Amino acid sequence: MIVLIGLNHDSAPVEIREKLAYREVEVPDALMRLAERDEIEECLILSTCNRVEVLVRSYDDRAAAEAVKGFLARERRVAPEQLNGHLYVRQNEEAVRHLFEVASGLDSMILGEPQILGQIKQAYAVARKVGTTGPVLDHLVQQGFSAAKQVRTDTGIARNAVSVAFAAVELARKIFGELSGRSVLVIGAGEMAELATKHLVANGIEKIVVTSRNVTRAADFARRFGGEPVEWEKAWKHLEEVDVVVAGTAAPGTVLHRKDVQKVVRARRSRPLFIIDIAVPRDVDPEINDLPNVYLYDIDDLQGIIEDNLGDRRRAAIEARRMVDVHVQSFQHWQRSLQVAPTIVALRENLLEVGRKEIERFQRKLGEMTPEQAQAVEELTRAVVQKILHAPIRHLKKLADRGDAEGYAALYRDIFGIETTPDDGETDGRDDAVETGARREGS
Amino acid sequence: MELAFLAPALLFYTTGVLFSFFGTTRDSARLHRLSAVVLTAAWAFHLMAIVRRGWVSGGVPLANTAGFLLVLGWVVLTLHLLVWFRWRVDIAGLVLPPLAQLMVIASIGLDAGSSAPEPHGATPWWFLVHTGASTLGLAALGVAFAMSLIFLIQDRALKSKSSFRLLERLPSLETCDRIGQDAILWGFPLLTLGIVTGFVRTMAVYGKLWIASPKQVFPLVAWVLFALLIYSRLARGIRGRRSAYVTIAAFLIGLLTIVGIAR
Repeated sequence: MIVLIGLNHDSAPVEIREKLAYREVEVPDALMRLAERDEIEECLILSTCNRVEVLVRSYDDRAAAEAVKGFLARERRVAPEQLNGHLYVRQNEEAVRHLFEVASGLDSMILGEPQILGQIKQAYAVARKVGTTGPVLDHLVQQGFSAAKQVRTDTGIARNAVSVAFAAVELARKIFGELSGRSVLVIGAGEMAELATKHLVANGIEKIVVTSRNVTRAADFARRFGGEPVEWEKAWKHLEEVDVVVAGTAAPGTVLHRKDVQKVVRARRSRPLFIIDIAVPRDVDPEINDLPNVYLYDIDDLQGIIEDNLGDRRRAAIEARRMVDVHVQSFQHWQRSLQVAPTIVALRENLLEVGRKEIERFQRKLGEMTPEQAQAVEELTRAVVQKILHAPIRHLKKLADRGDAEGYAALYRDIFGIETTPDDGETDGRDDAVETGARREGS
Repeated sequence: MELAFLAPALLFYTTGVLFSFFGTTRDSARLHRLSAVVLTAAWAFHLMAIVRRGWVSGGVPLANTAGFLLVLGWVVLTLHLLVWFRWRVDIAGLVLPPLAQLMVIASIGLDAGSSAPEPHGATPWWFLVHTGASTLGLAALGVAFAMSLIFLIQDRALKSKSSFRLLERLPSLETCDRIGQDAILWGFPLLTLGIVTGFVRTMAVYGKLWIASPKQVFPLVAWVLFALLIYSRLARGIRGRRSAYVTIAAFLIGLLTIVGIAR
């Protein structure tokens, strides 16, 4: 069965998370050490700055959960009691749902953020490479990817900006359309201004003019972005030609006054000017927003947009959970069919064996057969077995879909005198059986 | 009677406008595509109605106001579809197709009241140039009107920072401005041609140039406004909110010409 043990930004403070987090290079060895344990059949470790989760398949959920808890405590040198109350354990359907929700960004700190899907892909690639995943986790993770993909494309969960810098870029797009070839004047070379500039540049803004009271900072900033540093006193004349202004100084009062912008309105020939004021206290006189074709957004305005967008994401999340549920059911369906697979395989083998023995017995009576005849008899036996088993197998699969095949599978094994238990079939063989079974069903 | 074509055309118009409306409120690209498909069907039936009308009357059906409106509506829809397929300006679906549909309905209404046909004083060739240029010109300016309206809504929304929800569905300010400018640059020469040929007709019919009828006054006022608009835009770079207001006023005044024709 599938078990997920982990902690995230909700369940554990950063002090605990950072202790448990694996560095990328540590993961392969850790996976191999974990996979050596008897309780664990398959495993995968997802470790990001917001969550550490271990996904395993085992035959004994409780033992597996305990094993993973102990493993984490030992490996990361944390006292087990320190983890109490922070680690969550999800089993079977809940574990599947949790993984799918994580992949879809539904469990992220910022609802709908897309990064996590890439991180899961990475974690899966590592586990696959060291060989700690098998047919069940493979199928599970793939299904999770489809769920995430559907959520992303069919709901608005990742549509609108939920960070200040992205909200600013979206607004700039609403004003200018394409940003390529546009220019920006950055006032104050601080961290926030840098972040906003980075996003603007990533979205096509080409020309950057930067000014700061601190000349070296302006020069540094300009070098990083391939921009042009200008003296503080001479910066305002650039208001005439730029499209966007980013203001983020640490000044205690207004830096950009209404009259500064008013002066250039005529020279700008009604080209729109988008001013982003991310400084607290504000750098830009709010009255500037009243000037024609000038659009001023301060940090609160941008936060307001983000709040709206988060509201949208929360609404989209309801729909997304419904989609995830369909994928969870689909995976559960697949897994249930797996439970009866060993019985089906054994049943078929058993009857074929009877056939083979009978053929041998008759051969003595009939004498030597030509290869063609032998093959024909073999095929005949196979066909008979197939026909006999068709209805019982279909019945068993139907029960498996409903989730109550367990008892019947045991009954079948009793009747036909099969020794196997559902869990000790070869995983590969089981996979095949399900595949071929499904194909026959369809034909 | 071309109603056999106009009835399905109107049905498609209504459906297309509804799709466009719900496409906007639900932010669904699929509904907008559906709207474009349905409106294309409306366009086809509308065209068939025009052809049928021309067939019956034995010429381009611009002989009276009803015919003029029928053709104008069709041209407006044509421009809308062109703009949509070229730029995907979904929001225009809320302005131009209803405008075209209104023209069709007005045309049917006028037909029922059988407005007097225009006096055929001028040569049919002049007449055709006059009505054709006026129709195309007004339709192009109609596109500019729609873009200006959208520009103002967008501008207001950006300034007030309140209705970001609506903003999502609107094209960017610069897009509105560019399409609007293109439409004016196309529409203005056509309007000019329509007015000049109109004077030629008046001269031929009444024996004088100026008869001070609304169908002379309104287009002239509109023409002056558009001329000022183009001058201030090209020569002095004035655009944005102020030119959007002027565009809207100029188009509405230009539209009043139809009142003059109908009188």
